[in-house]
Amino acid sequence: MNTDLTAKIPFREHIKNIKKILKIIIDIDKWYFLFTSIVHIINVIKPYIQLVLSAYILDAIIAQKNFKEVMLVITSTIFIILCLDFIASSIWNRMEVHREKAFLVYSCMTQTKMLDMDFSRIDSPEIRELRKRIITDNNWGAGINSLFWQGNAIIFGLFNIIGAAVVAFPVINFLFDSGRNYVIIIFIVLAVILIISMKTGIYFKKKTFQFMFMKINDDEKEEYLTLSWDFASGNGFNYKNGKDIKIYGSYGLMERWCIYAFSSKKQRKALKNSAIGWAGKDGSSEFAIGAIRGCTYLAVTLAAIAAKAGAGDIIRLAGCLDRLVSSAYRLVTDISEFALTARKQASTIEFLELDDEMYKGKLPVEKRSDNEYQVEFKNVTFCYPGSNEPALKDFSMKLKIGEKLAVVGMNGSGKTTMIKLLYRLYDPDKGEILLNGVDIRKFKTDEYRQLFSVVFQDYTLFPFQLAQNVATDTEYNTELVKKCLVDSGFGERINNGGMEMETYLYKDFDDTGIEISGGEAQKIAIARAMYKNSPFVLLDEPTAALDPLAEYEIYTNFDKIIGTKTAIYISHRLSSCQFCEKIAVFHKGSLVQYGSHKELLEDKNGKYYEMWNAQAQYYQ
Amino acid sequence: MKENAQTTKQEFVPKHYSILSDIIYFIKYFKKYEPLVLYFSLLEIILSAVVPLTGIYLPKIAIDLVTRKAAIQEAVTILVLFTLLMVAVCTLKTAVASGKYNYYNAQRDQFVGFLFLKKLKIPYKYTESGDMKKVYWKAFDSLSSGDWSALSRMVTGTIGISINILCFLLYSTVIGTLDLWLLLVLNALAFASYALNLRQIHYEESLRDEFAETNKKYYCVLNSMEHTKGAKDIRIFGMKHWLIQLRDIVIEQQRMVNQKLSRKRSFYEKASFLLSAGRDLGAYTFLLYQALEGTIDAGGFVLYFGAITGFSGFITGIMNSLAELRSAANSTDYLRAYMELPDEDTSSGSRHTSELSLPLCIEFKDVSFTYQDAAEDTEDNSASGKNVFDHLNIKINAGEKIALVGVNGAGKTTFVKLLCGMYDPDSGQILINGIDRNEFPKKELYGLFSAVFQEQLIFPFTFGENITMDRAENINAGKAWDAIAKAGLKELFEEKNINLKTYMTKGIMKNGVDLSGGQQQRLLLARALYKDAPVLVLDEPTAALDPVAESEVYNSYNKYSQGKTALFISHRLASTRFSDRIIMLEEGKIIEEGSHNDLMQLNGKYAEMFHIQSNYYEEGETE
Repeated sequence: MNTDLTAKIPFREHIKNIKKILKIIIDIDKWYFLFTSIVHIINVIKPYIQLVLSAYILDAIIAQKNFKEVMLVITSTIFIILCLDFIASSIWNRMEVHREKAFLVYSCMTQTKMLDMDFSRIDSPEIRELRKRIITDNNWGAGINSLFWQGNAIIFGLFNIIGAAVVAFPVINFLFDSGRNYVIIIFIVLAVILIISMKTGIYFKKKTFQFMFMKINDDEKEEYLTLSWDFASGNGFNYKNGKDIKIYGSYGLMERWCIYAFSSKKQRKALKNSAIGWAGKDGSSEFAIGAIRGCTYLAVTLAAIAAKAGAGDIIRLAGCLDRLVSSAYRLVTDISEFALTARKQASTIEFLELDDEMYKGKLPVEKRSDNEYQVEFKNVTFCYPGSNEPALKDFSMKLKIGEKLAVVGMNGSGKTTMIKLLYRLYDPDKGEILLNGVDIRKFKTDEYRQLFSVVFQDYTLFPFQLAQNVATDTEYNTELVKKCLVDSGFGERINNGGMEMETYLYKDFDDTGIEISGGEAQKIAIARAMYKNSPFVLLDEPTAALDPLAEYEIYTNFDKIIGTKTAIYISHRLSSCQFCEKIAVFHKGSLVQYGSHKELLEDKNGKYYEMWNAQAQYYQ
Repeated sequence: MKENAQTTKQEFVPKHYSILSDIIYFIKYFKKYEPLVLYFSLLEIILSAVVPLTGIYLPKIAIDLVTRKAAIQEAVTILVLFTLLMVAVCTLKTAVASGKYNYYNAQRDQFVGFLFLKKLKIPYKYTESGDMKKVYWKAFDSLSSGDWSALSRMVTGTIGISINILCFLLYSTVIGTLDLWLLLVLNALAFASYALNLRQIHYEESLRDEFAETNKKYYCVLNSMEHTKGAKDIRIFGMKHWLIQLRDIVIEQQRMVNQKLSRKRSFYEKASFLLSAGRDLGAYTFLLYQALEGTIDAGGFVLYFGAITGFSGFITGIMNSLAELRSAANSTDYLRAYMELPDEDTSSGSRHTSELSLPLCIEFKDVSFTYQDAAEDTEDNSASGKNVFDHLNIKINAGEKIALVGVNGAGKTTFVKLLCGMYDPDSGQILINGIDRNEFPKKELYGLFSAVFQEQLIFPFTFGENITMDRAENINAGKAWDAIAKAGLKELFEEKNINLKTYMTKGIMKNGVDLSGGQQQRLLLARALYKDAPVLVLDEPTAALDPVAESEVYNSYNKYSQGKTALFISHRLASTRFSDRIIMLEEGKIIEEGSHNDLMQLNGKYAEMFHIQSNYYEEGETE
């Protein structure tokens, strides 16, 4: 698959792209082009009606017809045109609503696809590359809207040619009857001009592509790159970072990375080339249109002189012929633009067609009211995609029912990886994870994940209604949501802190939303886990970002969350493991120690002892 | 009273500029940065006024040649020459029109850069204010929506209106020769269609906020869906169904707005069709009457009728351009309001910090402070209009190390912002070695602090730029390497083969180097070391670190801060062990103060916090 939009591709590749995108469009909106076609037909017919009317009036003036009689014809013709305009306007405006909706439906297809893609692939280099390509491919032009506009232009062009051909047919006869030789020479000259201008058009178009889809090598980036869009839109720069800029006097540095490239020699040259490209591309097509007009007038005039035709005929004949040739020329351009637009969507379609790699089991998960689920890691080895160092090495561990296990270890020791494998965000490279003796890959993923409630440090709440965030649905049991919020310690905010079930979190989605602090957000995340009421509770450093009091408050609520369920608690704050019966110590992807706090502390050479002392020293 | 001030506070409304003033504003901008855009536009306007004439004359010439039965040779010469002229004019016009496109777009990109840089130049408090944030984002919007951005529409609108006015004047002379009354009637009709147009614009503008609102919601749902950080949550909690429902609700809302818009648009379109049908009918009646009377001939009929329809086309063109300019001018108001905010005065002051003796002593004297706007305060979460500090007195002695502790919302972050000069107290003074800090130029004042804030700022630039926070050409390499060594990064740099020109993160360069959380902390330390300022401020830098790394980081900072005045903020009490004095804040007030031992003996809030964190460790040890 060629990812470079400027490279030449075979014709059938174009056809394939067009077919695919049209299929998607038709799936979204079957009727759109059918109805706009009516509008195009009206728009093609209208000028001819006006033409006929003008001819009639001219004749009437010359024949000195009765004023009333002529006015009757004029009035009824104007009325017909008005009716046609009304019909076209009604249909067109209605179709605009359809188009806008289709745009929205299409624009969120990749995002929707991401909802059930393999987790491991979302952030994989391959997908990141593809998503980047989708963005660059859609950087210029109006995406799927261009497709609608160009599609309309093509349909209009086709009708226009048909209309002009029907009307111009007598013209061609007239031309060949009256001025054969001149006409043939003129049309050969015109054909040559058109071919040349089309070729120069393509040449200049390439220049614009070189700029639009510029690939900048790393060693040239210092000259070309500007981060103004990123920084200005808050990407890589939080407005709070303004403090650092002031304290460190870094205005000059920011200026260098935001403005410098605009006046760099290379950038200026690239800009100039592109401007020449645009001027040349549009100029040559205008040149062709002008040449067509000139040549048709020339041919018709010469034929008319030879045939001694009247003045009125010339306007009609030349007008039709001009229309025929120039709409054919425009159609060629429109079709090539359409093919390019379709090609720009190829990356999006490639994304939508991605298959999942993870094995999708079919086995339903047995619903057990006694929650007798047992999980076992058996010789599990796992490497993150794109990394050579295994995050877990030949790891084995059994989780006993109803057990409360604490997992401790330094950053990067594999604690979180274990959890991610457990709820099947990733599958192990080697070894297996068993649920009641069955490989978890064999279960339906959705049902399997139902078994786990997770609270992690980098949890995400969405900027929608409070209760919906807890229930993760638009419909919910209000009483249960309230109970979970109260149990997680959020009760005060609901009772007298101005938060309702329908209150939006943050202001991103709704301006009436309410900002919440980190501690409050964590409580909502805990309520969310409680609402789910799963047999396993996994807590992955849920309090790392909180102050000691807030942390303590949450600890004291853990009993309510966990109850009699099986729980795994991950923390690098050893102090917070106190409610766990057993502690597992991870180091560099392996389980190195396992036992109660007391047992582990006795091993003075152990990792646990070392970590313990690093923290405890401050509290002695 | 405060309550009152809050409720009467009105939303910021930018100064309204006229369309003409906006046009001049952008002309000046282009004149300064890209005069080519102006030359090209001028050429385009002149040529565009000529182009319609070629359309009128080509048939006229052809008819003339046929009626006077010209020789073939003569006809070919005249027509070819005319065609060449026509093609040249049309081609040149299109070429300059398209050629300027890239140039003004590049200027739009550059303007975004200026807008961002402006944000860095104004006083920091504006950056945090909710009103100014809104103005900023509206200004950003006025540049960001491609060909629909205010800047682009300002360019196309100005050119469009100039061409149409020029052609309008040309055509009025043609029609004026026929009948002055006709001209008046046509103008009246034009104004009727202008009124119609205006109503439609008003309606569309009234829907604009609603439209922007649903559009914002749509992209908000999309962001939630594609958020890689939220992907975990989405899978674990099975949120797919929920998000898809929300997506469909928002799409439906957007469709409703579009439908309202399209119905009105269809209505106004039909009204204008009716108006032009009336105009045509009137023109036909008038001209036909004259033609049948013999006042004008058949050719005259065609010419005048063409002129009348053409004339009203130009009026429509003027109206459309005016509409384009009007809506562009509205967003331009925000852009100009932001760009015209006063820069922070960094240079005026009666004294210089060079005269201060080190280490510094800093005193907050009777300081009261209130955020003017709740949006400014995202960390300390005080109710809006509530005093964060009320007559606060804190003295940090020369060379003293202070730990500032307290729960979230106690005012710690606000204290740091006041200390570093991001905000000024509402009343009271902040003294440096006994001198009011306002006597020093801001630039020098900022120079006194090395700070590591909560929001770690790492740029995808070179390591050298990240450490020195300065342009590559200003880097003092020796000093930078010294800072790297002191921050304990030397081994890492050697191991990974990093030098000052190596890029950090893969944000810009594919071969950029990513650092772990602990290593990033050290890099921020190196940044502070390079600056080597007399006061060190650390605002909760270690939350994400494991205990061993955290301990190391504190040790390094402690070692470095010898001989300097330092302020540590952390809710991990570990940091307090390195401090000479601990200050415990609650709701903006000092509730406890003293050494660790003093406060433990006091057995108050600090002791409680300490026990909560340490009880497990103590149990472990005593068992």
